Amino acid sequence: MKRIRFNQQEIVFAVFALLFLLFSIFLRGFLSSDNMLTLLQNVSVLGILGLAMAIVVIGRGIDISLIAALAVPPGLVLQMVQNGHSLPASLLTAVLLTVAFGLVNGWLIAYAEVPSLFATLATGLLLAGLGQAALFQLDVVQWSPGMDGFERLGQGTILGIPTSIVMFAIACIVVAFLLRQTRWGAYIYAIGDNPYAARVTGIPSRPIIVLQYVVAALIGCFAGLVMAASVNSMPTRIFNSTLIYDVILVVVLGGIGLSGGRGGVLNIVIGTLLIGTMLNGMTIMDISYAGQNLIKGVVLLLAVITDSFLNPRNEETAQQGDI
Amino acid sequence: MSDIMLSLRQATKLYAGVPAIDGVDFDLRRGEIHALVGENGAGKSTLTKVMAGVVTLTSGAMMVDGTDVAPRTPLEARNLGIAMVFQENSLVPTMTVAQNLFLGQEKFYNRLRGIYISAQQFLQSLNFDVTPTATVSGLGAAKKQMVEIARAVLHRAKVIIFDEPTASLTPEEKKYFFDLVRDLKKRGVSIVFISHALEEALLLADRITVLRDGKHVVTDDAAKFDRAAIIQAMVGRDLSNTLYGTRKSTVRPAGARVLTVQNLKMAPMVKNNSLSVFAGQITGVFGLVGAGRTETFKIVSGVLKRDFFHGGEILLHDKPVRYRVPAPAVKAGIAYVTEDRKVEGFFETSSIARNIYLGLLSKFPKGRMMLSRRETETVGKTWIEKLRVRAIGDHGKVVELSGGNQQKVVIAKSLVQEPDLIIFDEPTRGVDVGAIVEIHELVNQLADEGKAVVVISSYLPEIMALSDRILVSRQGKVVEEFSALDATEERIMYAAIH
Repeated sequence: MKRIRFNQQEIVFAVFALLFLLFSIFLRGFLSSDNMLTLLQNVSVLGILGLAMAIVVIGRGIDISLIAALAVPPGLVLQMVQNGHSLPASLLTAVLLTVAFGLVNGWLIAYAEVPSLFATLATGLLLAGLGQAALFQLDVVQWSPGMDGFERLGQGTILGIPTSIVMFAIACIVVAFLLRQTRWGAYIYAIGDNPYAARVTGIPSRPIIVLQYVVAALIGCFAGLVMAASVNSMPTRIFNSTLIYDVILVVVLGGIGLSGGRGGVLNIVIGTLLIGTMLNGMTIMDISYAGQNLIKGVVLLLAVITDSFLNPRNEETAQQGDI
Repeated sequence: MSDIMLSLRQATKLYAGVPAIDGVDFDLRRGEIHALVGENGAGKSTLTKVMAGVVTLTSGAMMVDGTDVAPRTPLEARNLGIAMVFQENSLVPTMTVAQNLFLGQEKFYNRLRGIYISAQQFLQSLNFDVTPTATVSGLGAAKKQMVEIARAVLHRAKVIIFDEPTASLTPEEKKYFFDLVRDLKKRGVSIVFISHALEEALLLADRITVLRDGKHVVTDDAAKFDRAAIIQAMVGRDLSNTLYGTRKSTVRPAGARVLTVQNLKMAPMVKNNSLSVFAGQITGVFGLVGAGRTETFKIVSGVLKRDFFHGGEILLHDKPVRYRVPAPAVKAGIAYVTEDRKVEGFFETSSIARNIYLGLLSKFPKGRMMLSRRETETVGKTWIEKLRVRAIGDHGKVVELSGGNQQKVVIAKSLVQEPDLIIFDEPTRGVDVGAIVEIHELVNQLADEGKAVVVISSYLPEIMALSDRILVSRQGKVVEEFSALDATEERIMYAAIH
């Protein structure tokens, strides 16, 4: 074909640059340092969640329960410290809870062969319900003196860069290392590319699928800790928000095909920048919550349709030859 | 009204340039039962699919009742009075018999009671003992077939085509089916049926057509054939002219016994199957579709899920094994090269080198926690050279390759795992001519190196050219064993056909 082909990353990045430029010119206060700080903070939690989602989507799954992993274990840390436990013991408990949660997800999907969408939909609800019913005393778990010092995970700067951005960067490096440099990463791509071939080749598919969901839950928990540290509390009601759609938006817009086996950390960074800018701009423009949801819905729909054109998910892909 | 109901003239269908049927002439008389026989890949299915509008001809003509037609969809064929009863039946399992009968013909207001009554009357007129209110998923194979036939009759079919109608029937059901077909004939319906069971063809058909390699061989009255004559017509190709070369004059002796399968059962495909495979020689496994060959070896290599495993014993190097997933089988030195490379063969978004490297990783993960770009490249380069994969650079993606080169990548991915037992399932299916020769050379070389090699093939010349030892499988088990020295095509085919 003679036609010049842009790849999705470049297109999305161009859209981001254009949007950023337009907002800078036409939106008062968009470029202010306060706003930039808010944007970056919001974006980093979203980006970290996007990384978690990327791992499972590359492996041809989806994890709807990420928000529960974001809200409940970090909320538990705050609650336990409030109740007088030490910070390290609380953190350890939260990590154990997260790992157990990831194992349940992974087992359901890999061994019980429940489709990932339904499995994580149910387990997410379960974990959130457990948190609200049994663990937390209030919907917003408050910061307590025992947590002092921990807020540095989400506030302040390191070498002049906002800490939450540094956290996002660290998460990016860890996930990029896992996906690109390790055997497990190669297996995740292989399973996402062709799960049947992966099985026949002798790749331990099921343990690797479990690994994906454990790692995703841990990253989700990390995002929650960063979030709690930056706002000095854990609003556990966030589970009821539309945050998960933003995460899927980041993944799909960034160019990680829902059919699996494609994309990487760079796609998440680009997707996060675009979505973060879009959300921030809409807030400044004072578009209502309902209006924002409408816009996000339309963009997500367009992104999913484009994705299913670019990365069709059926055997015919194998016969098309030139993609 | 002419005597000829349906005819094909110089019918040719090409798939990617390869003819599935090639200049076939075929006549179906009014009210006759016509059997189509031939090996797998002889073109029987394609020929019937052309008549039923499932595939369209590349060139040639089709006539119904003397007028030229070219049905492009099954619906168009149905409107011409041609109906096909497929091997996998096309009923909706969750619907009732009556709903299935009237599927696609419902009135706008679809009153169930109304269609139950019409269905009841219609089924009774055909003398079919099927309850119209029964759900299809609960019916046996024979009853499902009755529903399909009833539907064909309801659509006023003048030609009904059956693909392997008796394959899933019990002996009593078969008898009933034969009566049914004779009854249809009395009503003036013309019947075409594909069968691997030659006795049935001889018993039931008025005329028999034999196809071989996509070409028409002979058509004559069934009374003028006998079993031997049909087999002769099915396999009578001049071997010296094919690219598979001449048959073997020496065979490799059997080495140590690598694999023993005893009384393996897996309903409904594998029935008490027993066989052995030895090192240092090629064991060819021949059989027709549905003989349970692929299933048997997929159980051995852990590819089939354990829920399908019903009993029996598998010994690898005289130790009992039972693999629930392929990973431990791969570790134990079994490689299964799939018959369906597009579905379970390769990773399409990855480079050739990465594909092969993934094979290496999954067999020898120790010390390879980190990926090595250098190792990926060397492994890729070595095997691309070794198997002469023709690609533009080692970083080309596998989907961009030709069928033969894709197959070589799939094979390389298994060979890099240094297996002792290599199972090739239809190794040259959809592979270009040049690559067939190279893949055959490779298979021979592996046996010379002392590996135990299994070749599953439905193509007799391939089995004859490669095997040292030939196992013939029929209806879920190995029924005969030949040394390549005293096997003939006729004897193998005789054993394979029930």
